[in-house]
Amino acid sequence: MPHPRIRPLASLALAAAALLGGAPLAAAEHPIVIVIHGGAGVIERSHMTAEREAAYRAGLGAALDAGYAVLEGGGVALDAVAAAVRTLEDDPHFNAGRGAVLNHDGICELDAAIMDGSGPRAGAVAGVHHVKNPIDLARLVMDKSPHVLLAGQGAEEFALAQGVVLVPESYFITPERLRELEQEKRGAAERTPTAPLPLRPSPPKGMGTVGAVALDRAGHLAAATSTGGLTNKLYGRIGDTPIIGAGTYANESCAVSGTGQGEFFMRQVVAYDVCAMMQYQHLSLAKAVDTMIHDKLKRTGGEGGVIALDRDGNFAMDFNSAGMHRGVRDSRGRREIAMYRDAN
Amino acid sequence: MYAIAIHGGAGAVPRATLSPEREQRYRAGLEAALEGGYAVLERGGSSLDAVTAAVRVLEDDPSFNAGRGAALTRDGAAELDAAVMDGRQQRAGAVASVRHVKNPVELARRVMEKSRHVLLVGGGAEEFALEEGFGLVPNLYFRTPERLSQLEHEQRGERVSDLVPPAHGTVGAVACDRDGNLAAATSTGGMTNKRPGRVGDSPIIGAGTYAKNGVCAVSATGHGEYFIRAVAAHHVCAAVEYRGLSLELAMRELLHDILGGLGGDGGLIGVDRDGRIVMDFSTEGMYRGARDSSGRSEISIYR
Repeated sequence: MPHPRIRPLASLALAAAALLGGAPLAAAEHPIVIVIHGGAGVIERSHMTAEREAAYRAGLGAALDAGYAVLEGGGVALDAVAAAVRTLEDDPHFNAGRGAVLNHDGICELDAAIMDGSGPRAGAVAGVHHVKNPIDLARLVMDKSPHVLLAGQGAEEFALAQGVVLVPESYFITPERLRELEQEKRGAAERTPTAPLPLRPSPPKGMGTVGAVALDRAGHLAAATSTGGLTNKLYGRIGDTPIIGAGTYANESCAVSGTGQGEFFMRQVVAYDVCAMMQYQHLSLAKAVDTMIHDKLKRTGGEGGVIALDRDGNFAMDFNSAGMHRGVRDSRGRREIAMYRDAN
Repeated sequence: MYAIAIHGGAGAVPRATLSPEREQRYRAGLEAALEGGYAVLERGGSSLDAVTAAVRVLEDDPSFNAGRGAALTRDGAAELDAAVMDGRQQRAGAVASVRHVKNPVELARRVMEKSRHVLLVGGGAEEFALEEGFGLVPNLYFRTPERLSQLEHEQRGERVSDLVPPAHGTVGAVACDRDGNLAAATSTGGMTNKRPGRVGDSPIIGAGTYAKNGVCAVSATGHGEYFIRAVAAHHVCAAVEYRGLSLELAMRELLHDILGGLGGDGGLIGVDRDGRIVMDFSTEGMYRGARDSSGRSEISIYR
């Protein structure tokens, strides 16, 4: 039985909030939450040195705190996810921005998307080679162009027109990614390069993609994702990251960012489908994510994970790969960073 | 029951501005595409082959905004997008921003069947085309005097750059074959005077193109940015699958409530698991056609 006095008090508060424009009550009602990922894949303790693990954890922590600081300062979810993803793009340990994996030609080809759940509005870029922070360019596409997705040179023309300073391809390349490409090419030589589907792409080694979802004080949701894609990918290949609905999606009730074998995420329109299952099948966020990752995606052989957040601040970080770099921080005092299956 | 539906774009098609000769040309083009696709189904071919065949015919017809006769970008080039999806295993292939591939829908199909990827873009997509033995054509192949004058029109400022959708863009097809397999395909030149690199909804799986056996297959046309934000084609399938809506209601909700609410317009064609065809649009008209094994056969432009 609910306490009989709650109802009149609540309606008084609502009336007061209406008079004040709703902001004070909204501030009190909505938890602020940010969830990030730094890619899913073969992340096992046996493959990790203490130094590397510490570097990943530090990078995830910095991104989490950068995004959270925006929310704590009263900023919007959209700015928070952009700040978190920008931090991960600048960190060479993650497959986005600097330190992104290299394509077949030995260069970085970067994709990113951002979506504002209120609107909804979205911006994305694909196949850019010279943009230091692709997430910022995706944001400019959303804010300053009538388009949603710009690809390749056209995207870089737009960047220049917006005053974005381009950087040389060498900015993104790290020795570690060069080694990975060599290894991958040696391995690929033993496989048929164009075998027909269903061919599973080689297991994700690049631990690809970074992303963030956030809920702000006003109750708005946003999602952002950025990636270098697959090591040794074909020139021109675009994965799920910049595809609204596949790797990135946000509306008024749900925000999702994905990481994993992009082709599978695209075919199943993963990020939007999580939201659709929630809204139309009335599943909880956790159940919708569980169904997607461990049933729908797994059934087709797709590997990866998602982070997701609903308007009440419920979140999910789930994956069917060995591990996923991830973290969450909220106004209820939670701050967690994990990499492996066992919540550590 | 087997069935196929096609569209040749939606937009403002005021009867007064469409001369009888042009209307006749459009109708003949739609008819040829519809028959091309239907013939595949009739002889027991797959829905995937049927939608590919129908879209190829429309790509080759200079009256429609896809393949030859596609709308031109700001720099006067044709830049083409296409996608195909097989409802059987939800396999999909797409290409974006290609400038030298005569039939983008065939390259999209090749991406689905011969690469481990779903979407290839620009120069990379054309590299793949060459590896697969496609003969490339010069960009001039696609350019028609009509599209050139349309571009000049826009560039003289008679319209606000790329904020306005083209009068009628995009072609597409959906089909259900004898085995109940569903497929969808879409191909386009995008918006007249578009910024090079702009990718619309056509090659985006879930936005302009989607197919899932047992649910429905959908191809969209209209102001692409809105269709991307609304994840239009997948939204329709999700409404059918999760809420039990009829395809008709799902499409109406998407076009008139959701897209209408966002300020976007366009059209959709779809076929459900039983081979029932639905064609709906929120614009003045949509070039469209439908034919099925129960005797339905129609070509229409206006409401």
